[in-house]
Amino acid sequence: MLKMTHLSKVYRTEVVETYALRDFNIDVKEGEFVAVTGPSGSGKTTFLTIAGLLETFTGGEYHLDGIEVSNLNDNARSKIRNEKIGFIFQAFNLIPDLNVFDNIEVPLRYRGMKAAERKQRIMESLERVGLASRAKHYPAELSGGQQQRVAIARALAGSPRLLLADEPTGNLDTQMARGVLELLEEIHRDGATIVMVTHDPELAARAQRNVHIIDGQVVELSEDPRFHSVHAVADGAHG
Amino acid sequence: MTMHPILAALRKHKAGVVLIALQIALTLAIVCNAVFIIGQRIERVNRPTGLDESNLFLVSQQWVGAPSGDDAASVEKLDSLQLTDLAALRALPGVASVAPINSLPLLNSSWNGAVDHKPGDTNEGSFHGTRTTYYFSDDQALSTLGLRLVAGRNFTAADVGHQGFRDNSEPSVVILTRALADKLFPKGDALGKVIYVNGSTKPTTIIGMVERMQVPGTGTWTNSFVWNATLVPTRMDANFSRYAIRAKPGQLDAVMRAVTPALYKANPMRVLDDDSVRSFAQIRDKAYQADRGMAILMGVVALILLCVTAAGIVGLTSFWVGQRHRQIGVRRALGARKIDILHYFQIENLLIAGTGVVIGVLLALSLNMWLMSHYEMTRIPVLYVLTGVLAMLAIGQAAVFVPARRASNVPPVVATRAV
Repeated sequence: MLKMTHLSKVYRTEVVETYALRDFNIDVKEGEFVAVTGPSGSGKTTFLTIAGLLETFTGGEYHLDGIEVSNLNDNARSKIRNEKIGFIFQAFNLIPDLNVFDNIEVPLRYRGMKAAERKQRIMESLERVGLASRAKHYPAELSGGQQQRVAIARALAGSPRLLLADEPTGNLDTQMARGVLELLEEIHRDGATIVMVTHDPELAARAQRNVHIIDGQVVELSEDPRFHSVHAVADGAHG
Repeated sequence: MTMHPILAALRKHKAGVVLIALQIALTLAIVCNAVFIIGQRIERVNRPTGLDESNLFLVSQQWVGAPSGDDAASVEKLDSLQLTDLAALRALPGVASVAPINSLPLLNSSWNGAVDHKPGDTNEGSFHGTRTTYYFSDDQALSTLGLRLVAGRNFTAADVGHQGFRDNSEPSVVILTRALADKLFPKGDALGKVIYVNGSTKPTTIIGMVERMQVPGTGTWTNSFVWNATLVPTRMDANFSRYAIRAKPGQLDAVMRAVTPALYKANPMRVLDDDSVRSFAQIRDKAYQADRGMAILMGVVALILLCVTAAGIVGLTSFWVGQRHRQIGVRRALGARKIDILHYFQIENLLIAGTGVVIGVLLALSLNMWLMSHYEMTRIPVLYVLTGVLAMLAIGQAAVFVPARRASNVPPVVATRAV
């Protein structure tokens, strides 16, 4: 699903070159739930922005769903972001001027989807996150946990191949964070591929696999055997 | 990208939207009417007088020591002085034609009155009829002024008489402009008909019609009779005189220089100053000086208004782009292409400008109606308003383009940056 090989990202100024990622290698299989951890400045957010095609990289290779993305132009990258990737941001990133329904509709409109199909998908995704009754509410009228659920609904509505979550519970209290995490686990059990960046070890422990980054390189990979059966069940269910 | 989400977002920024829409509306209303007034002024300035204006000039002079009374002897003396001048001018090399004349189109010095089908009532003390300007001249008026005779005949030497400055004019024959003839005789059969000049009881026969001749006045007060001219075959004898002179092609400047010495040679007892010899181009230039000034002033005001409105749109859009910087990044992250962001701001501007121009059209028409009721303004043609609408929308799109393009260049990675 997501494979980076010898990938590097260098930020250059007139006087200094800074490697955000160096010889970075990762392979996320379809249906996996991977947590990417690391200290501040380790490069985990850079990894996420490159994985989500929000930024370009300097060297190496990146295959997303079988497509080598390094030579894609801006329009093609936008199309892939729209159709294959669902984003869940730490700050939710809902558009404050639009209500819940319209917020979820944003990526679907960019896809050129017909109104009836958009409506059906929006209502399905809202029901899935338990907020169908809040479709006409504005983000400011919702709690943080509800806003993050709307953001998850927005990510799910487009049926993405990959969900990228950037500290999805970072702005939530413990109870709300637990609810959001349970929702992500449920989505994963349904077969979604999730890559989650977090600095919270407890949160990372809930993932199927942990990838630890230090100084822009993957230094440790750990796999939780508990998830093999889940993964197998999910594969079987889809198979 | 459809309207709904843009409208939904605009509802959250009502103050800015209303202010810009009102600014666009006011600009449209003022600019439409200003451009219409400018157009009218330009039309006035450029309208042909009916004269062949090239190679034509006017000499105005005053005799010194000439009689000023209206008695027969004085009139005869003044007429002989005038005939001497005419002979001297006609003898000048380079002169094609000369005619004595009391005024010229655009000279802003006119002899106005009225002509009617019925004789006047001498007991009434006033007269009725169709308003006209009188041009007193001789049988060379048509050739000198370059007027086009469209019906009947020109004056002959036998038609030409002379009279004192304050005598009532009771000519036997006149030539009218076609506009005046058609007003008097709408069936188009004016030729040979009898009219009465300024309430006179003596009949005057229409012997000819010229295509067009403007009255001397250029103010809006002449609008109702601007093409109603009556040519009278009479030399007007006063202690001053005016001569219309047509130079042969290419000799205008030389002849204009030669007339002053020639007139002094014929009779040194006269006053001729720097303004005494004026080409028709100079007369036209002076006549429409105020119109040109007004047109330029209104044009500048309209231009400033348009610039201010465009600057307002640029300012507001730039502010919104700054305010929504992260939101734009989120849209890009969710799959918006650069062109989608550009279109978003363009459509947003089109909606605001569209609201503005709808209000602006109503304001423009209301302003026009107010000007019509308070000043001598005509109804603004729909074409002006439509052109104004399209221009405002185009200016809006042009003004929004740079900030919208800046917005489209916001990278999607902005979505992941800390608030």
